[in-house]
Amino acid sequence: MGNWERLVWNQRGVLLQGLMVTVEVCLIAFVLAVLGGLALCLVRMYMRPLKPLAVLLTEFFRATPIFVQLMWVTYVWPEIFGWPNSFFTAGWVALGLQSSGYLAETFRAGIEAVPRGHREAGYSVGMSPVLVFGRIVLPQSLLTVAPSIVNQFTVIVKSSTLVSVITVQDLMFQALKLVNVWYEPIEILTATAGIYIGFIFLVSTAGKMLADMLRQRYGLAAA
Amino acid sequence: MDAIPAIRVVDIRKSFGTLEVLRGVSFDVHRGNVVSMIGASGSGKSTLLRCINRLETPSAGEVYIDGEPMGAVEGRDRPLSEINRMRRDLGMVFQQFNLWPHMTVLGNVIEAPIRVLGMSRKAAAALGEECLARVYLSEKAREYPARLSGGQQQRVAIARALAMRPKAMLFDEPTSSLDPELTDEVLTVMRELAKAGTTMIVVTHEMGFARDVSHRVLFLHNGQIEEEGSPAQVFGNPKSDRCRQFLSKHLQ
Ligand SMILES: Nc1ncnc2c1ncn2[C@@H]1O[C@H](COP(=O)(O)OP(=O)(O)OP(=O)(O)O)[C@@H](O)[C@H]1O
Ligand SMILES: [Mg+2]
Repeated sequence: MGNWERLVWNQRGVLLQGLMVTVEVCLIAFVLAVLGGLALCLVRMYMRPLKPLAVLLTEFFRATPIFVQLMWVTYVWPEIFGWPNSFFTAGWVALGLQSSGYLAETFRAGIEAVPRGHREAGYSVGMSPVLVFGRIVLPQSLLTVAPSIVNQFTVIVKSSTLVSVITVQDLMFQALKLVNVWYEPIEILTATAGIYIGFIFLVSTAGKMLADMLRQRYGLAAA
Repeated sequence: MDAIPAIRVVDIRKSFGTLEVLRGVSFDVHRGNVVSMIGASGSGKSTLLRCINRLETPSAGEVYIDGEPMGAVEGRDRPLSEINRMRRDLGMVFQQFNLWPHMTVLGNVIEAPIRVLGMSRKAAAALGEECLARVYLSEKAREYPARLSGGQQQRVAIARALAMRPKAMLFDEPTSSLDPELTDEVLTVMRELAKAGTTMIVVTHEMGFARDVSHRVLFLHNGQIEEEGSPAQVFGNPKSDRCRQFLSKHLQ
């Protein structure tokens, strides 16, 4: 037990600091993923001329391994676009872009799951297509996919461990640093795994509760 | 009979690709009248209703609401924005209710009065309560549709259509997806609407309702009106063999 105290408990400040960075990177990436995914989906479904571009980007983000994407954003983008200018930014951009590809498809499934009759009911009371989309299709599909969106957050958290490679000082980074100082990986890495599991468990439990609530209150099944 | 019918349907035709679903249908619905439409599955009843409020664009023909053509203004095609505006004069009730699940019952009813008619939330709520009272669902105003029975959902859908104060109501088999014990509560509401002088077109398999409530009955077959007349005439002494066959199957 002495080891646990020395290696984990006494280092909790460092680990906690790392966890905060992890949460920060993941939250920013998540916001980017949701907004980017929604934009990709809307362009694909409702802006005919730009559809091929949206499809291409969606598929590209989904198909590239996260590690490759991370390297690419970190080392290629600054050469081409002059941005991002920090590893931290590169980290959330890469994480966010990949998830935006997945969420674009999630949003599309949600929109397609809205029964045609719900739109026709809107038209038949005189609503315009814009109103029907904004008041009926979008809100309903957002509710339908909300649990899937929450689950995508757990994917981001898992992928985020890779940003330690580009020296973003997240939980994984701090854990590896401690291992390199003490040369005693068992307790440190086990505790780190435990923290990740706990965090992801919290998020996915929230997702399940949300899904239950949506089913009971609105009768909406997950798309 | 007044000169201008509430709804005048003139030679409506509709094809989907090579499939000709409506082959020239014409009839009038006078103000305050109920017209029931019966016919076998696939005869084109839903398509006809949907052509009337332009959820489908007819291939040919015209529909006039209070004398105003739906599809054209001053000899040109009516723009979509204006068709949207005209649609609100025709309340539509669907077989599948089609309530919006993310809004409360009252929310469903007052959505269009607020967003389309520009009513204040307060005025719309008062109107909504009044419409819900007409379908005996005042106490459900704050519930979400998922908590309601099918019969209650359909009555909310009727209230939602009424809230636009339409010139006429179109019903597409409003009780066909309901359990038998729930159809009566919906038919009762519809009888009361008819009694109050609402102009209605009702597609239905409820022959009792069609016989008791309608001013006229249309029998649709293969995209054409095969038989048409007063309920006594159509149910008591149908001229066409097909109508007689259809009725013998549905009136036992
Ligand atoms: N959007 C569409 N595209 C292609 N075919 C269609 C479409 N809508 C309807 N049809 C076809 O038109 C025909 C008439 O359909 P419609 O729904 O009007 O019949 P109905 O009389 O309402 O039947 P039911 O009693 O089953 O509701 C059917 O053969 C149907 O398959
Ligand atoms: Mg039908």
